[in-house]
Amino acid sequence: MIESFKQLEELGRDRDLADVFLETDEQEHGIAKADILLALTRRRAVMRDCVERGKGGGLSMGKLVGDEAKKLNEAFLAGKTFLDPLTVKAELYALSVMGENSRMGVIVAAPTAGAGGVVPGMLLALEEERNIDPEKTVRALVVAGGIGSIIALSANISGAAGGCQNEVGVASSMGAAAVAYMMDGSTRQSIQAAALALKNTLGLVCDPVGGLVEVPCVKRNALFAVHGLTAAQLALAGVESVIPMDEVVEAMVRIGRALPRGLKETAEGGLATTATGCAIGSRLKDEANQRRADRAAERERLAQERKASTH
Amino acid sequence: MATRHDRKVSILDVMGPVMVGPSSSHTAGTARLGRVAREILDEDPVEVRFILHPPLAATYRGHGSDFALVGGSIGLNVDDPRIPEAIRIAEQMGVEIVFTEEDLGDVHPNTVRIEIRGKSREAEITGSSIGGGVIEVFNLNGFQTRFKGDSPTLLLFYRDRPGMISEVTRIIAEEGINIASLYCSRKQRGKDAFMQIDVDSPLGHEALARICAVGDVAEAKYLDRIP
Ligand code: SF4
Repeated sequence: MIESFKQLEELGRDRDLADVFLETDEQEHGIAKADILLALTRRRAVMRDCVERGKGGGLSMGKLVGDEAKKLNEAFLAGKTFLDPLTVKAELYALSVMGENSRMGVIVAAPTAGAGGVVPGMLLALEEERNIDPEKTVRALVVAGGIGSIIALSANISGAAGGCQNEVGVASSMGAAAVAYMMDGSTRQSIQAAALALKNTLGLVCDPVGGLVEVPCVKRNALFAVHGLTAAQLALAGVESVIPMDEVVEAMVRIGRALPRGLKETAEGGLATTATGCAIGSRLKDEANQRRADRAAERERLAQERKASTH
Repeated sequence: MATRHDRKVSILDVMGPVMVGPSSSHTAGTARLGRVAREILDEDPVEVRFILHPPLAATYRGHGSDFALVGGSIGLNVDDPRIPEAIRIAEQMGVEIVFTEEDLGDVHPNTVRIEIRGKSREAEITGSSIGGGVIEVFNLNGFQTRFKGDSPTLLLFYRDRPGMISEVTRIIAEEGINIASLYCSRKQRGKDAFMQIDVDSPLGHEALARICAVGDVAEAKYLDRIP
């Protein structure tokens, strides 16, 4: 088992990082390398599908989000975006996946559903813009997953446990390492990319409006996909984090514990308790109660019907 | 809470699962918990009660956890596009669904107790959805356990007596199957006991029949990996 990033760096020196992770996972969990790659090939395809479906937009379950991807896509196609295409696509693809997620579409949790737009946003945009072989993207997903599995040794990967740093922060960190890998960076550079991305998300709170994975989650995924790309860029240029990755993770865990409960997915703080957040929250509650009442009435009606038909 | 060792997760756990949105801990993990209850019951449910720990009770509806829990408990997988329709489907199947709230103690915020009843039997599990679709079931029909649903597992309910473990593990060894981990608990010495054996490869019908035939085994249940 790889216990730390320090150990990973030693194991992965002058080696292909995906191979290192595939080998340890096979030993540790008994899943054959070929099966891991096969499963991730399928997951990459699900991500691609999400991006295609999501570009069209559509109202979310809670009706708080819906047309973000569509708007950006239209601006992009009309040549009205000012950022470079890689950045715009990273944002666009992250938004697309998160749109699908908010409509209860089929997505890949990476590492969670709420942060599921970050990694595909970064990786699929890069694959397209740099003409990278999709097989390499699949191997980059191995790297992303491997980085996440080391983080998961000491941190629960959920907003409820430690705030959004544990979800979107971790996703951005995993994605940054994977991007460095796709750009032929060294193992050390991948770990540095992960550290730079993660440490600059520390303290990010989880304060979803109305408790839904919609606001701020959908747009946050887009912004942190770009954050991860910039971290990878720095690492590939040789910039290094003064605080080593293992210590960054430790800091994340400590901060997560210190965060008040209201900022850990309970929707009892932060954006969720702004005036607008509260108003949306109570509207959602009313609607849910209404739905429940409707369902009860429907059940009652069915019961009456059954009774009538037996007489 | 969980020790470091318990947190070992694979690449596919992290980069997955493929699931219906919007929340891996509230939708995928909860669907899997429902699915565990359904698998242990091992027949169509007629009534399912979901007792939610307060933090989960506060957030479950917005994340579609109600659809997911119900979906799992009627046998849907986490990536089944019918999950958003699960409550309606359950109603059509004539399943009585109840959601209530109760403080389940010093547990993960996303914890639920599921009481599931079929025509001929019932089962009860308590477990947490700890993030990324990963689950930990820590109570099963009143026995302490540590079930994650990530490998094929044999669940044995039996009367506590010396020699039971060696008899059962011998049968598994004779079938050429490797045991990944083994966990026992009991309510009282000489009384009801429970054994959970995680195995590396699937256990065949024959092996299961042999294990069922061991004296004092009340019930043996074999669960595949919960997808
Ligand atoms: S704010 Fe909370 S629910 Fe939204 S993505 Fe971040 S951790 Fe997930």
